[in-house]
Amino acid sequence: MYAQFFGSYLLNKNAVSAEHLTTAIAALSETHIKLGTLAMHKGYMTASEVDEVCFLQTREDKRFGEIALERNYLFEDQLEDLLKSQNPDYLLLGQTLVDMGVLSNTELESLMIGYQEDNKLDESPEQEANIEETTALITHFFENSGRDLTGHTLMYMNLVFNNLVRFIGEDFTPLAPVSCTEYNTTYCVTQAISGPVTLTSGVDMEPDVAMAFASRYAKMEFNEFDEYVSASLEDFLNLHNGLFSVNMSNMYSEEIELQPPMHEESPVITMSEDSFVMPVIYPFGTVYLLIII
Amino acid sequence: MSASNLKILVGDDSILARKQLKDVITKYTDNPEFIEAANGQEAVDKYSETNPDLVFLDIVMPVKDGISAVKDIIAINNKAKIIIVSSVGTQNQLKSAIEAGAKDFIQKPIRSEQVEAVINSHAGGN
Repeated sequence: MYAQFFGSYLLNKNAVSAEHLTTAIAALSETHIKLGTLAMHKGYMTASEVDEVCFLQTREDKRFGEIALERNYLFEDQLEDLLKSQNPDYLLLGQTLVDMGVLSNTELESLMIGYQEDNKLDESPEQEANIEETTALITHFFENSGRDLTGHTLMYMNLVFNNLVRFIGEDFTPLAPVSCTEYNTTYCVTQAISGPVTLTSGVDMEPDVAMAFASRYAKMEFNEFDEYVSASLEDFLNLHNGLFSVNMSNMYSEEIELQPPMHEESPVITMSEDSFVMPVIYPFGTVYLLIII
Repeated sequence: MSASNLKILVGDDSILARKQLKDVITKYTDNPEFIEAANGQEAVDKYSETNPDLVFLDIVMPVKDGISAVKDIIAINNKAKIIIVSSVGTQNQLKSAIEAGAKDFIQKPIRSEQVEAVINSHAGGN
């Protein structure tokens, strides 16, 4: 989770362009080795155990290592060894930008120090940020855009970022969320939830971006914008909100009611001032995340 | 031995979910005939029209939800073999669906072994 927010930090400081950042993050995802792959390579886990853990992440909001420990697929010392084997991803992002000639080493050094200080990070964080650090990163990210997120809403956004990593891919950079009372949709899918948290979340994107997003989510190749693409977007929202509902039930014994996800027919969505739109840049295009409160 | 010539009603508002379920069912049955419904009311109507051997129903659907659809189908045939396909986060509704007369459930994202088990359990004799 460090790289996504380091990217946002670099954009915020005008240190890189969005285009350079997207290229660097795409390259990063090609070099970054996932924990499951490392575990298989080291002989700690079998392929079916890795598949099982990935599947279980669609049922409960837990990290790969956490589930692997619970299922006795990994011992704690093995997990520590795997985490040490991964390079901290934001250092890798910085190095990639230096290799591309976008930043000098001096500039990178200064930006990294600033990023660590602003977010109160250890000097050499491990690859998987812990829950407190991730929450702090997200809180700070929203504070920078003048928005104080707390309680359930912060928990909701934390899960949004985790689910983007898990089900679409980690090669994204979130841009500062913006308030807008009227939002012009392109292809927009929304889902309303109610209970202790009542809001409508949505994803809006160009049709070609939707095809790429759906291909990653459904693990199928979509070459035309059809109803399967639309259904994939709806399924993503439904899975995300379902996991949020599970978290609320497990942590607070509170129930969330989910409405069916739906395609927004209206070309303009009217939103309250507390609502916001957050662009999320992927190499395949920009996904606009809507939180309508 | 796989079940054959089953008439199967798949009720889910997601065309992707219907496709994924049909693909898996096809692996474990010979010559299945599928009837599709995109909401609970359509599922009830198509149940009346076609009298399928097995029904797979999502819980959260527009027009009429899965639990109401289970009740309506059970009112038509109290021996209807209804399998609930629940999404993550709908555990509470799942209990209501079972109480309403659903015979079994599988959870999304679906796994082929779950589907195989419910077919063997509820349509193995076909």
